[in-house]
Amino acid sequence: MRILRLALARCRALVRRDVVAGEIRDEMQFHLQMRAEEYEQRGLEADDARRAAARRFGSLVLMQDRGYDVRGGGMMETVLQDVRYGVRLLLKHRASSSIAILTLAVGIGVSTALFSVIDAALLRPLPYPNAEQLVDILVHATRDGDSGHYAPSMAEIRAWRESGRVLAQVGAGRVTGFPRIVDAGQPERLIVGEASEDFLEVYGVKPLLGRGIQLEDAREGAPLVALLGHGYWQSRFGGTPDVIGRIIRIAGAPATIVGVLPAGFYSETAVWQPERAAASRLNFRGSGTPVRGRLRPGITFAQAERELTAISMKLPPDPDQTQATSVRVELTSLYDEETGGSGRTITPLACAVSLILLIACVNVAGLLLARGAIREPELAVRASIGAGRARLVRQLLTESLVLSLAGGLVGLILAWTSLDALVTIIPMSLPTNSPAAINLPVLGFTAVVSVASAVVFGLMPALRISRVRMGAQLAVAGRRHGSPLSRGGGQLLIAAEVALAVVLLAGAGLMIRSFARLVEVDLGFDPDAVLTMEVEPIDPAPGVREQYYPALLSAFRTLPELAAAGAVDSLPMRDGLSVGFVTTGGQTNLIMKQILPGYFEAIGLPVKLGRRPTESDRTGAEQVVLINEEAARLFFPGGPPVGKFLNMLGERPRRIIGVVGNVRHSGPLWAPKPEVYLLYGQTAPNPLSIVLRPRASATLSADRLLQMARAVGPQVLVGRIRSGSHDLADNVATPRHRTLLLSLLGGLGMLLTLVGIFSMTAYAVARRTQEIGIRMAFGAGPADVVRAMVRDAAWPALLGLAVGMAGAFYATRLIASFLFETTSHDPVTFAAVAVLMGVAALVAAWVPARRAARVDPVIALRAE
Amino acid sequence: MPKTNSDQLHGTLDMLVLKTLQNGRLHGYAIAVRLEQLSNEVLKVEEGSLYPALYRMEARGWLSSEWGMTETARRARFYKLTREGRAQLGAETQSWTRLTAAVQSVLSS
Repeated sequence: MRILRLALARCRALVRRDVVAGEIRDEMQFHLQMRAEEYEQRGLEADDARRAAARRFGSLVLMQDRGYDVRGGGMMETVLQDVRYGVRLLLKHRASSSIAILTLAVGIGVSTALFSVIDAALLRPLPYPNAEQLVDILVHATRDGDSGHYAPSMAEIRAWRESGRVLAQVGAGRVTGFPRIVDAGQPERLIVGEASEDFLEVYGVKPLLGRGIQLEDAREGAPLVALLGHGYWQSRFGGTPDVIGRIIRIAGAPATIVGVLPAGFYSETAVWQPERAAASRLNFRGSGTPVRGRLRPGITFAQAERELTAISMKLPPDPDQTQATSVRVELTSLYDEETGGSGRTITPLACAVSLILLIACVNVAGLLLARGAIREPELAVRASIGAGRARLVRQLLTESLVLSLAGGLVGLILAWTSLDALVTIIPMSLPTNSPAAINLPVLGFTAVVSVASAVVFGLMPALRISRVRMGAQLAVAGRRHGSPLSRGGGQLLIAAEVALAVVLLAGAGLMIRSFARLVEVDLGFDPDAVLTMEVEPIDPAPGVREQYYPALLSAFRTLPELAAAGAVDSLPMRDGLSVGFVTTGGQTNLIMKQILPGYFEAIGLPVKLGRRPTESDRTGAEQVVLINEEAARLFFPGGPPVGKFLNMLGERPRRIIGVVGNVRHSGPLWAPKPEVYLLYGQTAPNPLSIVLRPRASATLSADRLLQMARAVGPQVLVGRIRSGSHDLADNVATPRHRTLLLSLLGGLGMLLTLVGIFSMTAYAVARRTQEIGIRMAFGAGPADVVRAMVRDAAWPALLGLAVGMAGAFYATRLIASFLFETTSHDPVTFAAVAVLMGVAALVAAWVPARRAARVDPVIALRAE
Repeated sequence: MPKTNSDQLHGTLDMLVLKTLQNGRLHGYAIAVRLEQLSNEVLKVEEGSLYPALYRMEARGWLSSEWGMTETARRARFYKLTREGRAQLGAETQSWTRLTAAVQSVLSS
């Protein structure tokens, strides 16, 4: 209360200066009048009485001033005065001020940009009402000796919903792994979602138009319905409200549009359909479909898990399956589910960004220290006319604040302009529903960081500079002397920033080395040598596909530019997978691929044993397959598998005709997995991707390929046509982005450090002109003085290198899990970083030091 | 919490001013006159310095002030003790008494 009253009084004093000063004047005038009247009553003349009263009162002006100071205007006014002075100083020393502001802007800017990502990813990833009630539900079950985590079955979900005690809503929904052809006037390959009833309601999402998905929609034989995602509704239907009731075709089947979803909910998904009971994978546990629920208020996780488990135990087993011996329902908060793993990426980035900010602060501290040395005479004058040390520190800190607020403002602009770029390369999936933006919390963060930086970089110089010795400094006022570098502070700062930069560089270096190893991994084929093309007939009938793809390959094989042409349903490093279970020699899963003959030649996989498949194998009566070496090793350890049969769960045995080389299907990070190649048409045909191997030096235009794909016959949709190396680039995008980001930060840290060394050395040279002149007059050569100046910076840089190496040894553990075949203490990287930083630091000191050699002793001494 | 003033002269002036206000509100001139009477004109301070002292004590919350009319119908600023001010006066009186007693015992030994 009192503080508030006082603050009000002070503000009043500041804003209504005239009123407060007037009050003080009136009060003192009253006093003087009363005293004068008293003297008159004692018999003095009116004039004498007034003079006597004034004498007795003391200096009216002084008392008024002191009164005003106490009444509060005082302190605020000196703050304003300091700010004004700070701004003037900033404008006067333009060069050093711009370096300081830019340096701070970089530090504060990167911090702000990263914070807005953290804000989006960790602080508000779920833009739903009461998001803390949202849970992800899994069932841990043991059956026939196998146990694992499974997605709940639809029967289970409905039983939970009917009991209704712990879950307010519960539903299942997923996005299909492959795009499907959606035709609303014009066919497109789009992401389609499948959801059970209640799925939208769990999130609290209400359809913008029409209705959501209901229980009846999932019933067998019910008319097919669809909900449009907001983006697709806008792009295809122009956002008109009369879409309800229209028909669209999804993978060939007509469905009636019954609703439109609001913006921001699964924004990548174009169309939602109900999970159909008959064909649904949700009839069984383990469909992989995420099941989400909303806990009723006041229900704890443990309580909910207990009650849901009790309900699940009473249910009959899934169709065609034995009863599970133990069942345990497990809940994860959706927040943890969505943000899990983000921390692992964010932590090293946040550390790197903090180091940058710290380097920026150290840099500016160095500049202020150097500038402070020049200002010693001025400060000495201030001290001698009565400014205490606290007053000087306050003034210097206010000046720092002016600098850092200016830096913060520029940093905010930097962050704002670079945020989009950062979001595209940040190596993590950001929630699409809450995009990163410069919002109020982010602005608050910037303000706090700016003020904190001002204290960090301002305090040390302020304390050091304010320690002026009046007499000594006044005596030499106006003279240039001494070296800010060799007087401790500056050298310490150089050591500190070199150490910080070394830590950053070591991290960046390790990422670069790891990435170089990653892209050198043998994938099993050469991605640079192939072209890939996604093409799919709009009519999903198996007959159409089985006709179309072989016909297209035949057309391509007539091209003289092509050495080989083939097709596969899931391209390495691009597509998802179908998984089968092998029963030969233990039950293990393997990757199933459908191919057209010519695929192995086109992608460049060698056939190690047996023979290549032919067109007659495909159309022949016998079901034949090829397996890769990994599958041969795992399932046929006894001898060559060619001629033997491969038994897969739920399928007829198939004869193995050959063994092909391994391929790293999921990319260089993952070891090759066992694969089986089925011949196209011998199983339900998936859409295929075409693989082409152009002859060396042949050029093929995408347009030509496109025309050929359309010329075969049926109406088709052509997706991307591109080089296999693009697929590799996409596949390693996350490690590449991580490397890029840490390298950028490392480079930035090094650049700031070099700027710091450069400017501190330049200051030292400028201020020691006179001393250098004397040295040269006594016979020192230009090389000697340059060496002396460089040495001043070299020693602390060397110390910083040593400290930084030790720091990096610990700090790089943070990124150890991101490193591929590279230890976090890789000696080659550390050595390279040491050499790079050391040489760069010497150069940064040497360039400004050369100026010392050009000092003319006569001029330097005469300048006194 | 009442503060003890490190600056003894300041503290003494503060204590005396608080003492003058013990029996009710007074304006600045009246405080000056009371100080004269109380101290038998022993304290020869420039009268004007009373005002910064009053403002300081007001800022500390020991005094409150308002404009009012004197008996001769003139506009003047009146000061009175706050609860904190009373507590402060008590504390200062006590420490003063202790100090003088100590000095007394030294002088008379």
